[in-house]
Amino acid sequence: MSTTRCQRHEVLLTLDHVDADRGARAVLRDVDARIHNLVRSDVAAQGQVVAVLGPSGAGKTTLLRLIAGLDAPARGQVLIGADQRPARPGLVGVVHQRCPLFEHRTVAGNLRLAAARAPGCRDRTAAVGAALTSFGLVDRAEAWPAQLSGGERQRVAIAQQFLCGHTFVVLDEPFAGLDPRSRAHACDAITDVAARAAHNTLIVVTHDLRDAVKVADTVWLLGRDDPATPVSRIVATYDLIERGVAWVPGREQTAAFAEVVRELEARFASL
Amino acid sequence: MSIFQDLRHGLRPHRAVGAPARAAFALVTAGMLAGLWHLAPAVVPRPAAIGAALVRLWTEHGLFDQLATSVALNARAIAWSSVLGLGLAYLSVLPAARPLVQALTKLRFSGLIGWSFVLAVVAHDGRQLKLWMLVFAMTPLLLTAMVAVVAAIPRERLDHARTLGLGPWRVMLEVVVRGTAADALEAVRQNAAMGWMMLTAVEGVVRADGGLGIMLLDRSKHLDLAAVFALVAVVLAIGAAQDRLLAAVRRALCPYAELPVTAD
Repeated sequence: MSTTRCQRHEVLLTLDHVDADRGARAVLRDVDARIHNLVRSDVAAQGQVVAVLGPSGAGKTTLLRLIAGLDAPARGQVLIGADQRPARPGLVGVVHQRCPLFEHRTVAGNLRLAAARAPGCRDRTAAVGAALTSFGLVDRAEAWPAQLSGGERQRVAIAQQFLCGHTFVVLDEPFAGLDPRSRAHACDAITDVAARAAHNTLIVVTHDLRDAVKVADTVWLLGRDDPATPVSRIVATYDLIERGVAWVPGREQTAAFAEVVRELEARFASL
Repeated sequence: MSIFQDLRHGLRPHRAVGAPARAAFALVTAGMLAGLWHLAPAVVPRPAAIGAALVRLWTEHGLFDQLATSVALNARAIAWSSVLGLGLAYLSVLPAARPLVQALTKLRFSGLIGWSFVLAVVAHDGRQLKLWMLVFAMTPLLLTAMVAVVAAIPRERLDHARTLGLGPWRVMLEVVVRGTAADALEAVRQNAAMGWMMLTAVEGVVRADGGLGIMLLDRSKHLDLAAVFALVAVVLAIGAAQDRLLAAVRRALCPYAELPVTAD
């Protein structure tokens, strides 16, 4: 059903036969994937959400660092954006698991610093105000990061990344350590942010299958073909649009959702 | 919970006790110290003798001037060692500067006496020699503490700043310098206490310009133990006041450092 209403336009991220090493040890081999701009006829703007799933030690964080330009691939290339520029720090936002913020700045101060990095941002105060409103942080503007709850911290970290002009953000384990209510809020926040602009692209690095399927339009399963070797690659890609799961209201109640989760669990267990 | 239960909890590790129990423990400690003082050999002066000696030092021996000299010297030493120690610690993020910084931290193992001859050659006068001896003694300790703080900055904090598009020097300013300001002020506070420990020794070695150290040595020479104890009490009081002042400065400049973390 969704397939008829969605088209894949230009490429926004290219992982072109990427290899990555950690010291002398090979971690990722021949990682080859693309993220396209998804255009839906039934909504004004639809961003992309790709979940990267994999067991511990599969190289998820290594892949995150490559996409963020924090590390260079040993071979291959990582290209970002509609103009396909090589990845470098500052092109892609990262929200780490513990959501680091500048602890010596208030929430508004953190956002002001991000706004100062935004290209073409003339009125920083207005941009910060809009971000505070949009992420439900108006009453926390003068709070210090140490005073925020985990969920508030995550929202500030995401707001900061979008405020500085990133349309591409990688979230590292956004559901880890959250209670069910906070997890639901995190899922809503991801879906909401993705739907704000057509080029907004979120990559959610996680090992939580259900939440990944809940928010993503595509799932990359990262793992080892041979459990004896420590080298990982993308062993399967699940197109959740094709499977009739993505963007479906109340999707976790559908049979398609349950089927994809079962399939993923079986494949995950074999990695 | 009864006070007796609370007092019993005070004898077990990691138990929280109420204000009455805390007050009781403080009273018992004070009583024990007073008892020990009372039982000490007669050569140890009693409080009344120390109080009388303090008045005598103030009125007859110019305690105020000597105290002012020592406070000023210590303040200058704290300022210089803070500038040098913090500056060098921040530079430890530069691979090229790391060997020098590491070498300087090792100076904390070398004594002052051997180096005092070298410092005497470069110093213009006794006052400057005392200052540089103190700075030389204090800086490696502050530097060592701050190098450890800088080295312990989690990589994700640096990555977070980099992904926001901050350049390497701005990352250094935001994460290394401003991000560790609370730790830096705490290290300076601890180092300032170290200054008072060494100040009297340095003033004893270099007698130019006076100071509490010279008074201490003179009173010791005359076996005026009441005066010695009075001077020790003065150093304790000034040191504690300085400590509170620096703690207040830290709270004012880094109000976020002592906030209770909000639970999720």
